[in-house]
Amino acid sequence: MDFLSNNIYYIGAFGLIFIGLFIILVKHNLIKVIIGISVLETGVNLFLIAVGYISKGTAPIFSKPGINANQMVDPVPQALVLTAIVIGVAVLAMALSLAIRLYKHYATLDLRKIKEQRW
Amino acid sequence: MGELGLLSNGVNPVLLILVPLGLAFLVPLIGFISKKIIKYIPVIAFLFNLTVALTLIPNVLKQPIVVKIGGFAPPFCINLVAGPIGILFSTLIALAGLLVSIYALSYIKEGPTEKYHMLYLLLLTGATGVVLTGDIFNLFVFFEILCISSYALVAYLGNKAGIESSIKYLIQGSVGSSLFLLGIGLLYGQFGTLNMADIANQIQSASSPSIFVPMVLMITGLGVEAAIFPLNAWLPDAHSSAPSSISAILSGIAIEVGLYAVVRVLFTIFDASNFLMFFVFLGVLTLLIGEMSAFSQKNIKRMLAYSSIGQIGLIVFAVSLNTQYGVSAGLFQMISHTLGKGLLFLAAGYMIYRTASMDISSFEGIGKKMPYTSLAFTIGTFSLIGLPPFIGFPSKFMIIKAALAKEGILFTVLIGLVLLGTVIEGAYFFRVVQVIYFKKGNGNPERKEAPITGLIPMFIFVILILLIGVYPNLITKILNSAASELLNKIDYIRSVLG
Repeated sequence: MDFLSNNIYYIGAFGLIFIGLFIILVKHNLIKVIIGISVLETGVNLFLIAVGYISKGTAPIFSKPGINANQMVDPVPQALVLTAIVIGVAVLAMALSLAIRLYKHYATLDLRKIKEQRW
Repeated sequence: MGELGLLSNGVNPVLLILVPLGLAFLVPLIGFISKKIIKYIPVIAFLFNLTVALTLIPNVLKQPIVVKIGGFAPPFCINLVAGPIGILFSTLIALAGLLVSIYALSYIKEGPTEKYHMLYLLLLTGATGVVLTGDIFNLFVFFEILCISSYALVAYLGNKAGIESSIKYLIQGSVGSSLFLLGIGLLYGQFGTLNMADIANQIQSASSPSIFVPMVLMITGLGVEAAIFPLNAWLPDAHSSAPSSISAILSGIAIEVGLYAVVRVLFTIFDASNFLMFFVFLGVLTLLIGEMSAFSQKNIKRMLAYSSIGQIGLIVFAVSLNTQYGVSAGLFQMISHTLGKGLLFLAAGYMIYRTASMDISSFEGIGKKMPYTSLAFTIGTFSLIGLPPFIGFPSKFMIIKAALAKEGILFTVLIGLVLLGTVIEGAYFFRVVQVIYFKKGNGNPERKEAPITGLIPMFIFVILILLIGVYPNLITKILNSAASELLNKIDYIRSVLG
């Protein structure tokens, strides 16, 4: 039980990553695949945040006297996640706009039916 | 201190990223004033970059230039490391960028052209950033700039094939990027730093199982963009559906930059000499699969795209030999591939444009209709096959020589397989050349050459291919310093951390 409570963020993060990968590999609907990519990215972001998190930590600002630097949450992963979220939004927007154009061409989003290009 | 202007030892390398990035964001604004001048902006940007990169080469060969962006000493801030390899690649990117943007002046007529030029600038900004940065997360960000703009540019024509290839590329590329980011997170969790030199410094004392997982994640993630087998399913579709100018950049720059990132991660961050044998086999496998798939293609652009996979395999093979000579040979092959494949895609672009077909059989008799373009195409194929006096000959020769230096029956067999790949390459390229020159076309033999802005870049590519092919010593010095930068990680760490 101790293991679970100590590592709950990591378990959640890897859970999301595997769910995302599963969706991307198994689903045939393009929108679902895009949702899978989004879930995967969320998992990675959660993982990055968990790397820098300290239980009952404070913000990394010396706002009051008596704050110990050891109790501060690492701010670097949060900056990384902020950047990664922005990149994720760009990819998501790009993917959805491509999905709209794909639907106009093929009148379907089923990836099994979209097979113009082959090896 | 001169943050944006001159450093004590020459021009600040940050300008190589700053100028194209700034101009990319100015493109829509300039579009309000005049739509006609937009297409000249990339030409100006990369002319500037080429000048800066060339003036930096002598300084960098003496000592790598480390730029502290925020003013803090490494490892606390993002820093740029303009070492020999970074400056070699930025010169190559600026050169290919300049030539292809001249080509695009008349080639890109349809569609939202201002967006094309903006994305084109962003793509090459991302590529320059990847090769110059010394921070692993910064590398990820620049990599994403490169990837997202190439997803958009693959879909530029908006036709069925373009959209479909773009979405395939996007799905595979973003899974790859997520894995790469996960690897970065694992490394940060262990070492608490993002500076590549600092990670490389601390990783020597870490246990090997704990760095194996991030290494696999990062190589898999970057391998998607570098098109190493089996992660290259997107490449033939994307390269053949993009406009030809973009195919030239994707083939000549984007996958090469991906490969640079793989090599940088393998050699500098992880001291991966134990795993390099695996990459030797992977390289030969990629080479054979690429060349054999290219052999069975009827579509010219798909054939060129598969040939790129083959060339990537050859480069991976050479670099993984892990000797000074082998790594220089791999870098030489990258230059040779950029020049050769860039030329081929540019020439093929107008051949496709004039015949309105990508089918190789439709090029019958085009040697009489477009003599200069056909000649350029032929020189490109001869160079890629490795015939003297073109650049492909010294680079392939170096690879074989480097592999022969590794003794043992295994390497003899592998060299045999590499040569087999070259024979297959020769077979399908000679077939195209034969169709171009020796088959009589049924149409009217009226001469209609590519426009002058299309011929100039092809001409410069041909000149460079011949020049370096005849005098390979011109670039040996920078190749050798670039190879030793990769192999001697102690020197790299010392030059960054001081």
